[in-house]
Amino acid sequence: MSWVTPLGSGVDSVWERLLEGASAEIEVLENGQTGARYLVHRVPPEATKNLPVNPRLRRASAISRFAAVAGLGALADAKEKPDLARTALVFAISNGGVIYTRRFFAEIVKSGAPAASPLLFPETVFNAPASHLAAILAIEGASYTVVGDGAVGILALKLADDLLESPEIDACLVVGAEEVDSLVCEAYRQWRLLRDPEKPASKRGLIPSEGAGAVLLQTARGDYEISRIDAGTNFFRRSEAGVKLRRIIDRLGTERASCCIGSGNGTFIDTAEKSAIPEHVRLYYPKAALGDSIGASVLWQLIVAAQVLRTGRVPTMAGSLPPGKVLVLGCGLNQQMGGLALCSDGEK
Amino acid sequence: MNSRTKTQRRVAIVGAGIVSPLGFGLRETSQSLQTAKDCVSPVEAFSVEKTRCKTAGQIADSVLLGTRPNRRDRRLHRASYMLMHALDEVLCRAPQFRPEIAIVGTTSGGMSFGENFYRRLGGGECAAAWIANYPPQKQVVDALEKFGIDAPAQIIANACASGTNAIGHAFASVRGGRYDHVLTGGYDALSELVFVGFDCLQASTMEKCRPFDAGRSGMVLGEGAALLALEDFDSAVSRGADILGEVVGYGISTDNHHITQPNPDGSGPRRAIEQAIDDAGLRPDSIGYINAHGTATVFNDAAEGKAIMQMFNGVPVSSTKSMMGHSLGAAGAIEAVITLLALREQFLPPNINFRHADPGLKLNVVANEAQKAQFAYGLSNSFGFGGANASIVLAKA
Repeated sequence: MSWVTPLGSGVDSVWERLLEGASAEIEVLENGQTGARYLVHRVPPEATKNLPVNPRLRRASAISRFAAVAGLGALADAKEKPDLARTALVFAISNGGVIYTRRFFAEIVKSGAPAASPLLFPETVFNAPASHLAAILAIEGASYTVVGDGAVGILALKLADDLLESPEIDACLVVGAEEVDSLVCEAYRQWRLLRDPEKPASKRGLIPSEGAGAVLLQTARGDYEISRIDAGTNFFRRSEAGVKLRRIIDRLGTERASCCIGSGNGTFIDTAEKSAIPEHVRLYYPKAALGDSIGASVLWQLIVAAQVLRTGRVPTMAGSLPPGKVLVLGCGLNQQMGGLALCSDGEK
Repeated sequence: MNSRTKTQRRVAIVGAGIVSPLGFGLRETSQSLQTAKDCVSPVEAFSVEKTRCKTAGQIADSVLLGTRPNRRDRRLHRASYMLMHALDEVLCRAPQFRPEIAIVGTTSGGMSFGENFYRRLGGGECAAAWIANYPPQKQVVDALEKFGIDAPAQIIANACASGTNAIGHAFASVRGGRYDHVLTGGYDALSELVFVGFDCLQASTMEKCRPFDAGRSGMVLGEGAALLALEDFDSAVSRGADILGEVVGYGISTDNHHITQPNPDGSGPRRAIEQAIDDAGLRPDSIGYINAHGTATVFNDAAEGKAIMQMFNGVPVSSTKSMMGHSLGAAGAIEAVITLLALREQFLPPNINFRHADPGLKLNVVANEAQKAQFAYGLSNSFGFGGANASIVLAKA
């Protein structure tokens, strides 16, 4: 597993910082069109400095670079290297290559269709990051890009798990990725979901974030096992979210579950998750430290869950956890939710 | 948690619904196909004054949107309505069908709402409804909600192969025993950003869309939605379901040659086609009809044509995009339904606007008119940006 986050890119080094109670630096992003200001977390430049030179990445957007760093990192981290001819690629994306999408459409609006760039358009397609990583790794088999809200990582992991049913596939590299752009920030602002830029210390409102997370799922025995993935459901009203999350948690099973890595981000999701989690399960929100990277967020949560299992510790909480399983919840801002249960190899 | 079971169940199609420029529903679609109707018309949704291409296959809003009596309905994207029409048709045929999951393909969801949002920034009023109803999963969730279906929506965005990838993955999941009932398909609505995108790549044409023709000059875009209800065959039989056909094979490959162009040797499409036929336990000569991806771009048709030439010997081929344009994420699903109709009604859908055979492509193109035929298996191909290639094999019931 591997990640690129606003706190850096090494799994263990970022984990240590989370245990220390660190939070990603907050930057102010200004919208050139509207003058609005947004609080965001950005990936520091050094986090992607080891990215290999590849012609596919020459013009690629930030999201593709984050995805490549995380994907290659997860493969490098694997104890058993997979046969890439029998490895599938599954991406979780929410807003996708929004920087190039905005630039591409801005040219159309400003100067008309003849000004539109044929170099930008292919990068606006949701599966562009997956395509670049497949080319870098020379993966010629199955590649899927799953899109959705903040729960999309759960749906991507579910798809990967279903793919592993196939005798032709031994491993799935699952990558979640996102990039920050003013257009998306403005959308969340108008949706009244963003943190007030004048109140960065407030716990209300989300801070958009960027980066990528990647895990390699294999049919062979590993350090951790996803014992169940629940692709979840849709909530049609926010008031339903807590009840529906509780049903997902019940299906995942709370016996031997001591901790839940939630998707709370300073919005209605916090209330829904708190109401759904049983009292004996500790609830930790990585988004409080890393921001909400939407498409990448569940992959980050899964990595945090693995680290909780490995170390028995939960950031910002005293004491150690008994061995058992850790739940991961993905509740998005736009009606999707799901969850999974992760256990260590000895706890299956 | 994966058990890698060896379950290989048969997968029945127990419901189908379609909305496209060819018409609303299976009957209108079949009539358009059998009469070789040209459903491409001048673009009305946005200005095409400065684009090379001026036409597209479009669905009339007057029929699509209906009366929309309440305020909430008026906020939804027209793509949501496409899916609602398609799902309504599925459920009319299979009223007891309750999917455990919806696996649906798209490339751009409610993109035109995103365009509206951008245009109004810095002036004018933005509608919060554009933001909430723009994301690509929302249109599927809207359709599920409309019919009271409480199933997760797994949205696959593999560019122009999205619809076929969604159906293929849904098929594999039912066959492998992961699910018993899956709603699957694809959708996309015409948008200015995507239209200009293909135009600036010079992939779209200023004249007619002529797949596999020597004088082909590019695609025209289209839009629509199509859905299939897939069910474990034995379960469908035991409850007396009307089985429309079967999905029997699926192939997927990734072509790393270039992000927008296939390897000219046709190896990417060929791998997907070979895998689909092998997955079905068939030989190429079992296939009686190929609904080709056939965008009418020089490069796509050459690569796909080469793959077909290498594998088949005179099988009838047509691209129904010639009649209704390329509906991107919907294309694979619409063309699966077209292939299903062809199998059920035993005809070959036409490849219209065909004038002169490409001397480099020795293909048996179903030129300009539908033909009667007897065949048991049909192949449907979809290939997209990012090297996404997918093929499925359907069988007559």
